[in-house]
Amino acid sequence: MKKQIKKLKKIAAVSAALTLVGAYGAVFAGCADKDETITLRVSSWEEYIDLGGWSDDELIEIDNPYNEELGGIIGKNSMVDDFTEWFNSTHDFKVKVEYSTFGTNEDLYNRLSLGDVYDLVCPSDYMLMKLIAEGACEEYSDEFLQSGEYVKSVSPYIKSVFKDYGWENYAACYMWGTTGVVYNPEKLDDISDVKSWDILLNEKYNRMVTIKDNVRDAYFVTLGILNKEELKGELSKDKRSEILNDVDSETIKAAEQVLKDIKDNVYSFETDAGKSDMVTGKVVANYQWSGDSVYIMDEAESDEKSPVELWYSVPEECTNLWFDGWVMLKSGIDGNAQRRTAAEAFVNFLSRPDNAVRNMNYIGYTSAIAGETVFNYMKWNYGVEEDAEDVYEYDLSYFFGGDHKIATDAASFDFEDGDRTVINRGRQLFAQYPSESVIERSTVMLDFGDKLGEINQMWINVRCLDLKDISPVTYCIVAVIAVVIVTGILLYVFRYKIFTGYKPKKGYKKVEN
Amino acid sequence: MKKLRFNRSQLCIPYAVFLILFVIAPLVVILYYAFTNGEGQFTFKNFASFFSSTNTLGTLLESFALAIVTTIVCLLIAYPTAYILARSNFKKKYVLLLLFILPMWINFTLRITALKEVLSVIEGNISKYQFLNSVIGMTYDFLPFMILPLYTSLLKLDKSLLEAASDLGASKFTVFLRVTLPLSVPGIISGMTMVLLPSMTNYVVLDMLHNSTFIMGSLIGSYFNAYDWNNGSLISIVLLVIIFIVTLVTNRFSDEDSNSRGAVL
Repeated sequence: MKKQIKKLKKIAAVSAALTLVGAYGAVFAGCADKDETITLRVSSWEEYIDLGGWSDDELIEIDNPYNEELGGIIGKNSMVDDFTEWFNSTHDFKVKVEYSTFGTNEDLYNRLSLGDVYDLVCPSDYMLMKLIAEGACEEYSDEFLQSGEYVKSVSPYIKSVFKDYGWENYAACYMWGTTGVVYNPEKLDDISDVKSWDILLNEKYNRMVTIKDNVRDAYFVTLGILNKEELKGELSKDKRSEILNDVDSETIKAAEQVLKDIKDNVYSFETDAGKSDMVTGKVVANYQWSGDSVYIMDEAESDEKSPVELWYSVPEECTNLWFDGWVMLKSGIDGNAQRRTAAEAFVNFLSRPDNAVRNMNYIGYTSAIAGETVFNYMKWNYGVEEDAEDVYEYDLSYFFGGDHKIATDAASFDFEDGDRTVINRGRQLFAQYPSESVIERSTVMLDFGDKLGEINQMWINVRCLDLKDISPVTYCIVAVIAVVIVTGILLYVFRYKIFTGYKPKKGYKKVEN
Repeated sequence: MKKLRFNRSQLCIPYAVFLILFVIAPLVVILYYAFTNGEGQFTFKNFASFFSSTNTLGTLLESFALAIVTTIVCLLIAYPTAYILARSNFKKKYVLLLLFILPMWINFTLRITALKEVLSVIEGNISKYQFLNSVIGMTYDFLPFMILPLYTSLLKLDKSLLEAASDLGASKFTVFLRVTLPLSVPGIISGMTMVLLPSMTNYVVLDMLHNSTFIMGSLIGSYFNAYDWNNGSLISIVLLVIIFIVTLVTNRFSDEDSNSRGAVL
């Protein structure tokens, strides 16, 4: 698998380099007409699609109505190759996928504004909003919106959310999830500490928790901490969204202080190290996205030397519900009907439940696709026999519709009440599909709009060291060194006067031989 | 067939091209960005906001303190080492010297990652001692740059001068203080510049060991990551000017012995 990742990165790098030279775009387009091959330029997150190369024992043993010969679901080739093969054998023109990756939404946005051209990209919710608002997105065709594989298989819950925000015609949800805290219950003093975002400020865990090095996630947490009491009470959905999307200048100022306190309490602002720090036990709790949490929990419990059982908690105040969705870009599609067909076919291909399962299994995130195949995959993954000791019927009907409950081990949840309806902490299944009580207090974090600059500056201020926060020791060091340097310079300049009493005349200074 | 001949100035062309493409052009671009705003208009606002913000000034001071402490620690470790190496009659002293240079042949992110683990074992929780760790990390990284110039200047030292001093009745300590030390000043200055300058602008070591607080390198990085070329460029210019001043001062001091400076690397 490693090899393939490398290869893909190379391809991505080369394609990025090529697209940098704008003229190449035209060259590609010119080629496309001649031999009827469309180049589909897709850009998505790093490691966000099945790259294939599974070994035979990784077969997911569930019914696969799309390919019964396999006897299950398995990723032999990469998803992109499979798509190309499928597309070229079912359509009257050929497609070639140029798959590249980006690291952050801002990265993608800036690349687009610097003139890179993509047909299909997969940004997160707020970036979707921004791109749609700027009119950069192409609407999906009626055929796609009425009878496409995506529309057939997507979860009713996701559909309603996308409708509420007005993204339904422009974006097709790919993965979604929440944010929360991955923690090691054995190392926590008291399990109730992890019930609130202020575990990041808790002095009991001084330098033992980590937060993401990402301004949006950090700001969201701060809003949760600042409005802790209010958020714990009963709130309407709109009110909750209003509180958690507050970008008032005063709020930003208050957040700066809270974040400075968090900075002094956390182990690090991590970008990638969070996973390994958690597994090696350097930190006890780690602010995480749900998909990465699943990955961390899997890694930690399969660690050969010292397996650890980690849990995922969604704090009581709120959680950031996020969605990554595919959008077609006007700049790339450029009115080309074949290219649009290819882009829509790509989204539909990824939305086919067996492919959704492959991606989910490979990357650990939760697909927006519902349907029996995905549900069976969940059952295969987390289900227990009916006669197991303590079975809990985890209700996922909000996502899968109808009456979908997974009979799973009750020990993988941390219940708060006797009748087991409120679930805020659990293991992988809970991280992949949050309970309804979590969904109720979740909100989507919208685009910062024209406050973006102010918030970015706030973040830089947090990370810098204010003059008044510098320790007296540092000041002393600098002062002592300054004195030493000045004395040294003076001594050097007046060295003849002080040490020898006379200055040698010119010509006697150096003896050349 | 006509013989291919180059005169001197023609041989300079490859370097001139390199110089223009990779030294002068980037400098011009940085200067342009530093004194313009997002719309490309000329402004001093970036400049003013840098020097009026206590946050950036604090970061600058912290970076400076880190760099200076690192330099002094390096000097304190390197001088005795270089002295012993240069003085020893041990036949294989080049092997000893090699041992100090050897770590430079290993990728330094790798070395810092390893150092991080070692420090974790010793200190328990490395994020409690960020300043100390950064000094250790940079000392580890830059020590060879201090040892080498010191070693060469001590090696080149005329031994007859030391003998003469002893003959005239100076004690060992006086010989060191009055003869060896003054004669090795060019080496000290050369080594100090070689450590001070890179540690002022260091990025990777500090990012790995001083994670939650920005220092100059990561501050510039954070502006560039946010695609704010203007402020990032301005800070680069500020650093450039500081480095320029430091170089100017140190050059003045070693003017008389300029032929022994920078001879090693």
